[in-house]
Amino acid sequence: MRDSVPGPTDNTGPAQGWSVAPYLQGKLINLAPEHLGCRCVGVEVRGVVDGYRRQRLHALLVPNGQSDAGSRIRRICDLCVSEVEVSGAGATVLSEIREPGGSGHRRGLVHASNPVSAGLEDLQLTVGEGPCVDAFAAGGPILIPDLAADPTRWPAFGPQASALGASAVFSFPLQIGVVRLGSLDLYRDRPGALTSDQLTDALILAELATHAVTDQLNGHATSDVTWLSDPHVEVHQAVGMVRVQLGVTADTALLRLRSYAYSHGMPLREIAHRVVTRTLRFDPNDEPT
Amino acid sequence: MNSSPDRRLARTFVTLADTLVADFDVLDFLVLLAERSAELLEVDAAGVILTDQRGGWRPAAGSSERAELVELLAAQTREGPCFDCVASGKPVTGADLATDTMQTRWPRFAPAAINAGFRAASAVPMRLREQTVGALTMLNHQPVDLDVTTIEVGQALADVATIGILHHRAASRGELLAEQLEATLHHRTVIEQAKGVLAEYGNLDMHDAFTQLRRFAHAQQRRLSDVAHDLAVGALDPADVTDQPR
Repeated sequence: MRDSVPGPTDNTGPAQGWSVAPYLQGKLINLAPEHLGCRCVGVEVRGVVDGYRRQRLHALLVPNGQSDAGSRIRRICDLCVSEVEVSGAGATVLSEIREPGGSGHRRGLVHASNPVSAGLEDLQLTVGEGPCVDAFAAGGPILIPDLAADPTRWPAFGPQASALGASAVFSFPLQIGVVRLGSLDLYRDRPGALTSDQLTDALILAELATHAVTDQLNGHATSDVTWLSDPHVEVHQAVGMVRVQLGVTADTALLRLRSYAYSHGMPLREIAHRVVTRTLRFDPNDEPT
Repeated sequence: MNSSPDRRLARTFVTLADTLVADFDVLDFLVLLAERSAELLEVDAAGVILTDQRGGWRPAAGSSERAELVELLAAQTREGPCFDCVASGKPVTGADLATDTMQTRWPRFAPAAINAGFRAASAVPMRLREQTVGALTMLNHQPVDLDVTTIEVGQALADVATIGILHHRAASRGELLAEQLEATLHHRTVIEQAKGVLAEYGNLDMHDAFTQLRRFAHAQQRRLSDVAHDLAVGALDPADVTDQPR
């Protein structure tokens, strides 16, 4: 089963040093327990398969290495259309962070792959209801394969979205816990559910969009793209701690942590670990000690 | 099993069923399930991991929030009984992690578990129809061969966990599970942020921060996720939640 095809180069994931036969790439495999002891099959193969979709989409996103956040988000909308097979994709993203005591309204920038998607973004903001609003209330994506199947759910948004040409809508909140950065909204001009691979790709693209927005708000891009997909929780705990240490919003705390990591050339994960183990504190009066 | 564990088991299922009502909080439910699983299966620790639906797995709940267990649950999302279990869709047992077989099978997880004080680890899958959405893992400080009955009871508890994620809402839409899984992981992130707020304010470790968060939510009869949200956004003063004076 071992092959010379190189695995993904993500140096923190399970795929390091593993390889997979080409015909297995992109497929999920059900394995009998007796296979799991063998290093040539099983766990390693699955690890590479799992990392493959993310690596592939990331490579499609920045083929020439450019990392202007605005163009990345536009590119993500275009990739949703081609990879997730939807008719259009739009994103409304935060252009500036909240400050404590600031107003509830925040300005957002809209990116869209076509005028219908731009119209849908505008519509949700105007009527104040729709899948994007529900997504933030629920804490997760709202997936509606057929808008017409439940006409009472959004009495203002539903008919107008249909009039614009949307028969199915899929909305993905861009958020990191309570840090809300925007929304990625996909539509189809015919009813139809996302397949499980399409859902996976849409979730990965939403994660990449979240990266892009945080890079934009921080004013710099980072090569560390694993901190959102990493299962370790100290980054989130550190956000809560720094929020209290500095007396700022969670949004600001996250950006301060990222700035510190960037300016010290260290991964965010490491900075978070230091905060959680109390070897690094953020002080409102001066630089972190 | 003699009748006393049977009664405890029955009471556990009744308690879990009671939580499947309005004001249901999925993470509170999963934490309860992890705690009860540890008691009922007579293991030292238990935890739940869930699919992130994009090729990976995330810890969702544990019978404790102590750092060594939290780290080990995170490690199991990449290697170990949970990882093997979700790949195969079948239970996986590791009776003694110090043996050569186990060290070879799990070259990163086995030593990490032993370092954290655990000599045995097993996992049962959380399955809904054809899909494996997560795993329930059991850990022991001593080497132990879990018997068939324990695995079966563990599987029953894992099945309850899976149903709990869908909870009482009608599962008429296939998308509901996908939405609920993502929302569960989101609420977990919010809880971690809230733990940070309490830990910093009250100079607590993360386990104690979580204990106080849960205690406050139960005392106020509020959903755990809502209390966590309010703490993280500053709508709830940590002074009201902790019992530590500033």
